[in-house]
Amino acid sequence: MDVVLSQIVKRFGPLAANDDVTMRFAPGTIHGLLGENGAGKSTLMRVLCGVLAPDGGEVVVNGRACPGLTPEGAGALGIGMLSQDPLDFPPLPVWENFALGGGPVLSRSQAKARLAAVCARMGFVLPPDAPVSRLTVAERQQLELARLFDRDVRLLILDEPTTGISPAQKEALFGVLRAFVADGERVVALVTHKLAEAKELCDTVSVLRQGRLVGSFAAPLSTTAILGAMFGAEAACAVGAVPPRPAPVVGGEALLRVTDAVIADEKIVLQPLSVAIRPGEIVGLAGISGGGQEAFLRGLAGIAPVVAGSLAVAGRELAGKPATRFLNAAVHYLPASRLEEGLFPGLTLLDHVRLAFPERRAEARAIFAERCVGRFRLTNLPEAKAARLSGGNQQRLLLSLVPDDTRLLLADNPTRGLDAASIAQIWDHFRERAAAGAAVVFFSEDLDELLAHAGRVLVFFNRALVADLKAGIFDAACVGDLMTGRTVPGQAVA
Amino acid sequence: MTGRTSSLARAGFSLALALCVTLAIVAAAGAPPLTTLAVMLDGGLGSGQAVLRTLSALVPLLLCGAALCVTFAANLWNIGVEGQITLGAVCCVWFLRDLGLAGLVPPFLAVPGALAASMVGGAAWALLSGVLRTHGRVHEIFSGLGLNFVAMGVSLWLILGPWKRPGMASMSGTEPLPAALWLPALGGRPMSLWGLILAVAAFVLVAWVLNRTFFGLTLSAVRQNAMAAERLGLRPKRRMLAAMALGGALAGLAGGVLVAGLYHRLIPSISGNYGYTAIMAVLLASGSLRFLPLACLFFAVLTVGSIQLPLALSLDSSLAGVVQGVLVLTLFAARRLWPAGNTGSTGGTRNRGSAA
Repeated sequence: MDVVLSQIVKRFGPLAANDDVTMRFAPGTIHGLLGENGAGKSTLMRVLCGVLAPDGGEVVVNGRACPGLTPEGAGALGIGMLSQDPLDFPPLPVWENFALGGGPVLSRSQAKARLAAVCARMGFVLPPDAPVSRLTVAERQQLELARLFDRDVRLLILDEPTTGISPAQKEALFGVLRAFVADGERVVALVTHKLAEAKELCDTVSVLRQGRLVGSFAAPLSTTAILGAMFGAEAACAVGAVPPRPAPVVGGEALLRVTDAVIADEKIVLQPLSVAIRPGEIVGLAGISGGGQEAFLRGLAGIAPVVAGSLAVAGRELAGKPATRFLNAAVHYLPASRLEEGLFPGLTLLDHVRLAFPERRAEARAIFAERCVGRFRLTNLPEAKAARLSGGNQQRLLLSLVPDDTRLLLADNPTRGLDAASIAQIWDHFRERAAAGAAVVFFSEDLDELLAHAGRVLVFFNRALVADLKAGIFDAACVGDLMTGRTVPGQAVA
Repeated sequence: MTGRTSSLARAGFSLALALCVTLAIVAAAGAPPLTTLAVMLDGGLGSGQAVLRTLSALVPLLLCGAALCVTFAANLWNIGVEGQITLGAVCCVWFLRDLGLAGLVPPFLAVPGALAASMVGGAAWALLSGVLRTHGRVHEIFSGLGLNFVAMGVSLWLILGPWKRPGMASMSGTEPLPAALWLPALGGRPMSLWGLILAVAAFVLVAWVLNRTFFGLTLSAVRQNAMAAERLGLRPKRRMLAAMALGGALAGLAGGVLVAGLYHRLIPSISGNYGYTAIMAVLLASGSLRFLPLACLFFAVLTVGSIQLPLALSLDSSLAGVVQGVLVLTLFAARRLWPAGNTGSTGGTRNRGSAA
């Protein structure tokens, strides 16, 4: 299958998400689409599979232009997309999800037989009668892949497929993709912001920056050339430089002491766990989706209640106390969905400052100028509405609203969806906070990032804290195994 | 974002379309359309008496509209306004009967005290809904609707039971209160203008609280994102309860004004659908305080004017209800049809799409 995107233009209001992009997906290749968050990769792929209608340009499949492409039409042509967040129906069983959408209506026995056949071919193990809500992210990906393979997809688009799965699961996925294109006829389009993945898997790579195609490369891929294209020449040096991993903090009084605590979040209840965190530590939480690390973070923030055991911050017992008591104890939480959980979309930035520092609201303008603009380099006007902020500026605003005397800073995916400059600023800020004596606890779905910035790693699997690793003795493979429940002999377990 | 002229043009377009559809329905029902319209306008604004009747309908509408603006500011659907009016009226009558008539309060304090009691009654009734929402996970729409029926039951029970007229219980209400316990009439009119003064004052107060105070800012924070408000330690549940209490107090005051200024006794369904009509007025004004008085006036004219239809044109009285309903529905539908309104809304969703 030979697919060409020709001079695609897609605008959202004043923003050109794709600006005159032309690229070809040749048969039998794995084609990488690289770029920073917000570069326009996902938009281009949505145009390709008919979800978005382009404002200009055309999609040419096997030499024939396809105007007015719809998701159904793309499916009929053999174009299928595995989206970043699984688009399935969690309460329905696996076989029903498999049978739904884009194919003939199948009876239960037919659907199960076809599911079994695809799974056998690809080496997947999926229980047909289990509800999808019980599957891991990797298994939900496999289910979606099985569905697409069953519909005989010719061009398979994957949008950031390695987010939220372990390194071992990633290797398995890459094996499946290589087998998929081995017949020299099918094509894979892999959307990613990670250069290492592209280098490992892709035959050709296209790089997008700010909606424009800025470079195309064929294997063997050169790291410096691609980084230069992704970030611009001068920024690439800064991105390439990895900061030193923080040294583990030993000795001293614990700031946070959790003893046999049972944390009950909305959907899951964690096994009793005990851990102590000292001032100055930067602690990363590792785990796959459903492992319990997010619930743990929300428990530390006072959002998910601690129903048994003890949780004390600086000697103050907080288990079972309302979230305001956690705030009074200088515990602050940065949510992963910033606009949905942390900000007020219709209020101005100045109003946010007034709400965050009510006792000093008369000086809100001065605080905004000194704090938000001066220290956190927020580039918006004080009268702007929060809904208009870019992801990076949303996080800058949230960080600037966290008081300086915060002792325990909790962050859920603090860099998700941000550009490289914002990401670097956030890690610098966390290190400053830790140096000033606060403890930072964060969770990141990106294991490489997590290991690069954490001085200590707590690994969660199956609703339990399974390992407490000090810096220096962990690597990605070992943490990945712990995350997915493979025990490592001789490993210190908390 | 759109200029004032375009929003005025939009309002004019909606009104014109609504009138056309309404007149078509009136004609289909066999009534002369233009005459019907003229009779309604005349009944609402045609004479001094008509204007006074319209103003007397405007007072509870304005109070309830202000009450709803407070609760809408915190994203609460306070459907229970009817019940809060009723409880306000009940408390007002109780204060005047059992304390005023008995001479337990000095005469000059009787009416202000009764109005204060009505505000307490409305606030308490609204807080029931509020607590059910914040601590019982019962949505305020359901609890409000349910409590409306309970309030009606309470008032009927009082009228036919403990407060019945000497000798016989009557659906015409309780024994009228002596004129000394009425809201002082300005110039001897049937409806006391004091009510209008109170309503305007309450409206100005609400506008000030919502737009100029920190409390108002926290209410809009709760409306925008209750979860983020929780994260910032703004205690959204308390803010919601405060908004419910304030809204309930205003609705209760409407009930008190209806008793002390108009009916001078407790009658069945004293709330007279003002609570529901006020919801429509607030929706018509899109929650904007600037347009709310106009919207309330519109509904007051409509309510008072349509009473004249059966009298002047011997139309079936149900047609008045049909006219009101069709007019309001078309008005809401027409606002979506106006091109400017459409681009505004798709612009919003498009932005949301690109942010996702």
